[in-house]
Amino acid sequence: MDLGFIAQYLLNGIVLGVIYAMVAVGFTLFFGVLDVIKFSHGDVVMAGAFTALATYAGLELLGLGYPTFAAVFITLAGIAAMALLGALLAKFLILPLRNAPPLNTLLITLMFGLALRESVRLFYPNGSNPKPFPQLLPDLSLSLGNLELRFDSVLLIIVGLGAIIGVHMLIERSRIGLAIRAVAQDPETARLMGINFERVVLATFGLGSALAALAGVTNGLYYSEVNFGMGLLLGVIGFSAAVVGGLGSLYGAIIGGFLFAALQTIGAVWFSVPAYKDVFAFACIIALMAWKPTGLLAAKSAERV
Amino acid sequence: MSEPLVVENVVSGYDQADVLSGVSLTVSEGQITCLLGSNGAGKTTLIRAILGLTPARSGRICFGDHDITHQSTHRIAALGVTCIPEGRRVFPRMSVEENLRVGAYTESDREAIKKRFAEVFAIFPRLKERADQLAGTMSGGEQAMLSIGRGLMSAPKLLIVDEPSLGLSPLLVKENFRVIKRINELGVTVLLVEQNVRQTLDIAHRGYVLAQGRIVAEGDAVHLRDNEEVRAAYFGG
Repeated sequence: MDLGFIAQYLLNGIVLGVIYAMVAVGFTLFFGVLDVIKFSHGDVVMAGAFTALATYAGLELLGLGYPTFAAVFITLAGIAAMALLGALLAKFLILPLRNAPPLNTLLITLMFGLALRESVRLFYPNGSNPKPFPQLLPDLSLSLGNLELRFDSVLLIIVGLGAIIGVHMLIERSRIGLAIRAVAQDPETARLMGINFERVVLATFGLGSALAALAGVTNGLYYSEVNFGMGLLLGVIGFSAAVVGGLGSLYGAIIGGFLFAALQTIGAVWFSVPAYKDVFAFACIIALMAWKPTGLLAAKSAERV
Repeated sequence: MSEPLVVENVVSGYDQADVLSGVSLTVSEGQITCLLGSNGAGKTTLIRAILGLTPARSGRICFGDHDITHQSTHRIAALGVTCIPEGRRVFPRMSVEENLRVGAYTESDREAIKKRFAEVFAIFPRLKERADQLAGTMSGGEQAMLSIGRGLMSAPKLLIVDEPSLGLSPLLVKENFRVIKRINELGVTVLLVEQNVRQTLDIAHRGYVLAQGRIVAEGDAVHLRDNEEVRAAYFGG
């Protein structure tokens, strides 16, 4: 195996890592502010991709399908729609269940995800089959030996990393970020300080879902195909990544996402049968969890004396 | 102008059980009013009702000209009611500076926030030295300072201090009471909730004694000191 070959795997792995990290950050944000696991998150990724796809069909009908414009427009449409969906979900499904056992929230979001998935299959035209996703990014590439440096991959990495860094800055530096962290650490005291708890929760769910939509569109652009069930595996991977990193920790989720992509890539190189890569990656995750049950960067349960 | 805080006939509690059965009290402008009572008397329930955390079942709570009986907690805070909660409750994974910034969350004017940082650092120079330290890694005494400093960052019109001496060494308790007195002298109206009778009555102007969900004694601090009811409320005698 030569250097170009390794670089190729590395590049593909990074694209996957960015996608997984974007999904995992959502899980960790939701768990951080409300201590809930939202199992419909993977299906929100899928719905984001399908919203973008439907928007593209609309643009084409209007004769506005210019690739660069369309790429930006449908991405923003997917993000906006999912941010709204996330906030609505928080308001009408998750907040009303705040005083119920966490298991109920888990169950109800699982069901919501299922309903979302089946709706796309039933109501999207020909939704039960994989749909081609438009190739909107310039088809440029640079061949360096065995490495084919695709322009679209590089662009997706830059945009994805930019989004993750942006969310991180928002949480660490902005006023709403301060409120999100305050609510995550002590919701009651945060309210005593004048923070509107409900608004912070809606903002957090909007933010996490927007990131999920970007992950979905990135996934569509990268593989040139989407299907109604894509959220299932992406959701499980994002969840595993967040848990392995340490639920509640932003860095943990990012590290977890890239770690999972790395394991998959190693699995793909190691075994000749491609399907083994997921088995290998999940097996490693199980081993990791046995070794560090609270995650790699578990948010230290600081003593409240 | 009406009194800062007027509580009328408040009934409140958790689930089916009423903890407070018709409590009334008044906090006067510029004074330290204290609320005394042993464990389980209902002090915390009353504070939670005032702050909108456990809304009152009946009765009325007014802050100045606002009826806050059924307001949400963050709105009550925005009106100028600030609480220094029992057990300090600093945000452990935030720095000292960020904790103070959350305290000033309802203020959007940068200059005003800057001025308040200077005021708080003048009272607690220690907090300035520790500005970048994570609050969770500080000692209990330092966290107590931070909790009070965070409360002051909102420029409160009414400061509710809930059990400030809980879990602190006698020396720190004394220091804490001195600070509360100083804050009051700067013009802040204080409602002080305490179990520590003697030291509380030393700095308070007026006081109320709560026992089994009712006010059993009230009056000027000097009079409460020798009151039989106060002793009875504490020692069950």
